Amino acid sequence: MSQRVLVCDDAIFMRTMVGDILTQAGFEVVGEAETGLQAVEKYRELRPDLVTMDIVMPDMGGIDAVREICKFDPSARILMCSAMGQQALVVEAIQAGAKDFVVKPFQPSRVLEAVQRVLA
Amino acid sequence: MDSREYAQLFLTESREHVAAVNQSLLQLERDSTGPAAASAVGAIFRAVHTIKGMAATMGYTVVADLAHELETVLDCVRRGELSIEATIMDTLFRSADVLEHAVEAAVGGREGDVVASDLIASLRALTGKPAAELAAVPPPRDEALPPSVHAEPADAGELVRIWLQPETPLRGVRAFLIVQALATIGDVVSTAPALADLQNEDFDNEFAVRLATSQPAGEIERVVRAVGDVLDVRFGDARPSGAWAVPTPAWGMPALTMTPAHDMAAMSGMTLTPAQGIVATPAGETRSESGRVRSVRIDVRRLDALMNLIGELVIARGRLTQLATELGDLSLEETVMQSSRLITELRDEITASRMVPVSQVFDRYPRVVRDASRAVGKPVDFVIEGKDIELDRSMLDEIGDSLVHLLRNAVDHGIEAADARAAAGKPPAGRLVLSAVRDRSAVVIKVSDDGKGIDRERVLARAKRDGLVDDGKTELTEDELLRLLARPGFSTAEKVTGLSGRGVGVDAVYTKVRALGGAMDIRSVPGQGTTVLIRLPLTLAIMRALLARVGRETYAIPLAHVSETVELVPDVLRTVKGKEVLLARDEVLPLLRLRSLVGLPAYSPATEVDLEHVVVIDLGDRRAGLVIDELTGQEEIVVKQYDAVRDGPPFFGGATLLSDGRPSLIVDVSSLL
Repeated sequence: MSQRVLVCDDAIFMRTMVGDILTQAGFEVVGEAETGLQAVEKYRELRPDLVTMDIVMPDMGGIDAVREICKFDPSARILMCSAMGQQALVVEAIQAGAKDFVVKPFQPSRVLEAVQRVLA
Repeated sequence: MDSREYAQLFLTESREHVAAVNQSLLQLERDSTGPAAASAVGAIFRAVHTIKGMAATMGYTVVADLAHELETVLDCVRRGELSIEATIMDTLFRSADVLEHAVEAAVGGREGDVVASDLIASLRALTGKPAAELAAVPPPRDEALPPSVHAEPADAGELVRIWLQPETPLRGVRAFLIVQALATIGDVVSTAPALADLQNEDFDNEFAVRLATSQPAGEIERVVRAVGDVLDVRFGDARPSGAWAVPTPAWGMPALTMTPAHDMAAMSGMTLTPAQGIVATPAGETRSESGRVRSVRIDVRRLDALMNLIGELVIARGRLTQLATELGDLSLEETVMQSSRLITELRDEITASRMVPVSQVFDRYPRVVRDASRAVGKPVDFVIEGKDIELDRSMLDEIGDSLVHLLRNAVDHGIEAADARAAAGKPPAGRLVLSAVRDRSAVVIKVSDDGKGIDRERVLARAKRDGLVDDGKTELTEDELLRLLARPGFSTAEKVTGLSGRGVGVDAVYTKVRALGGAMDIRSVPGQGTTVLIRLPLTLAIMRALLARVGRETYAIPLAHVSETVELVPDVLRTVKGKEVLLARDEVLPLLRLRSLVGLPAYSPATEVDLEHVVVIDLGDRRAGLVIDELTGQEEIVVKQYDAVRDGPPFFGGATLLSDGRPSLIVDVSSLL
């Protein structure tokens, strides 16, 4: 069975792109969230194998969402999606429990490498 | 998805974000401190940040760079390093404009046309720091250090030297991850440079960790490499083998050099099934799983195509129903009836799917009014009412620019300067209201101001000069006023301003409204203000109509404008001042004869039905009787593009095919009243 992914980003554009990259690599996108709150809700509901998490989102940012998700499931596998210049935030996210990160603009190969590392 | 579809998605979403930026900027202008300001800045930051990420992915560097600079300024504001004052607001507003322009240009392949260097210089001047410095991060807090990093003698443990790949994104974080991974197999004694500097990317691609561990070198190397982006790992003082240490600029976005086309190609050939598809609603309309709306984004052109198809289907249905009736086969009739119901439902669903709240366009206007009000130095209180009213998507897009005309006109010509208002005993700020209300199968959009009203004297004088009215005329009715203002090129503005007064205002709006099958009205009271009413049908394409026969021709009259039909018995017919009028209940209505309008010989009882009929047409509060030979039925008609003959009769608003296959012209009620 293919691995199930929850894609969290407030931009449809980004969700579509990440979804496309992962789907083509054989993953199944089981849900999308556009706010941190939604991400937490959907995580509890869907229990995905992997979460891709944007940092800047309305209604609870990605870092707080990571914190909440890891409180609920310390073994959650979360990949942060960040932009250049967000190093402090990414470090914070990793301390909160995220496993790895990719930097926008996304290159499919980089995203997939990071995903493999997170799932390893 | 192919790159064109991504570009479209980028465009749609970026427009929404720019609109959100503008709205939050207006909020920020009202409240420049406190929680409201903080939430506005946060919202702007998020929107700009999202645009930046998308633009970078698309390879739109101008947009990405501009968004980045803007984000930097916003970040300073957010941290309280910059306070909101007029010059910043101006720059931010200007940035929103240029950003919007750049987004459109980028998608149109004209990114090179966008000149943002001035703006970027102004943005940088605001923060007073070169961009590179700002990209850096404040020193990490103490808690950022993993617990196992101790301040021990620098020579304890194994020296692990690590080289990251050139152009490793966020190499500081990657280094942090490596240190964290090493801490799981031993004690990190120290790092060089210090962990804080590592996180700050204060190193080239090389760094070193002193690790006290019982693990063999092979295991250490495996752990380090597993973190990713590692070029080489050495122990002790050895140098790495590969090329390395190519510093990246602080705001490098190294991957910007990737060609989107290439990447898109790599991803093309994928299809999105609804289950995994673009499940989303516009920002702010998020609906959760719990049974509420889930939406899918659809290209408007696809909706247009659906609408056209359903239009054709409706016509075919009419024909089918007629044939089935003629054949008299009961089971056939039953089946046709059933399909007919289904087609109606299908049509209603498609029509509904095209409806969007007017806020999608109206939300742009506070910014428009603000700019206009500043340009002429008149304070304006702008109020929008009825944002949730829904209108056909294409209709809304079509009418958008016309509303901008009217709003600017109101600010420029309607509302008086503050001193004139004070003299007239009005509050200093003009009041401008844009409202939408649903009225039967139409939406009425109203733009009203509390300004000085249209100067009828001047319109009259101008009309006399142009020979449009008799010299002896002393007064203008509302209708005459509208007709004059709606004439191409008619303007009474003393000077042309950047906003309006070129004479392309009211007439352009009037033409557009007519083209959309709508009607327009102007009500103006001297000293009290002007209201422009625009009545639009809910949808462009399909309407119910009465079929009226005169002679051997059939015309369609939109049912939305029919209030009743009566037989033309002698009792109801009167002549007033040499003109025929209709007595309908207690009202006296002007009477028009369709026969004479379309140039047919007058009705003759000898060759025709016993009695003529009158259709009472109405538009808002204006009514008139239209005399026809007889009514032949009611039908759902599909409005087709109608290329009016030059100088032909002006009172037709389109054409349609009737269910029996004959063409018919659609009467434009607004031009008759």
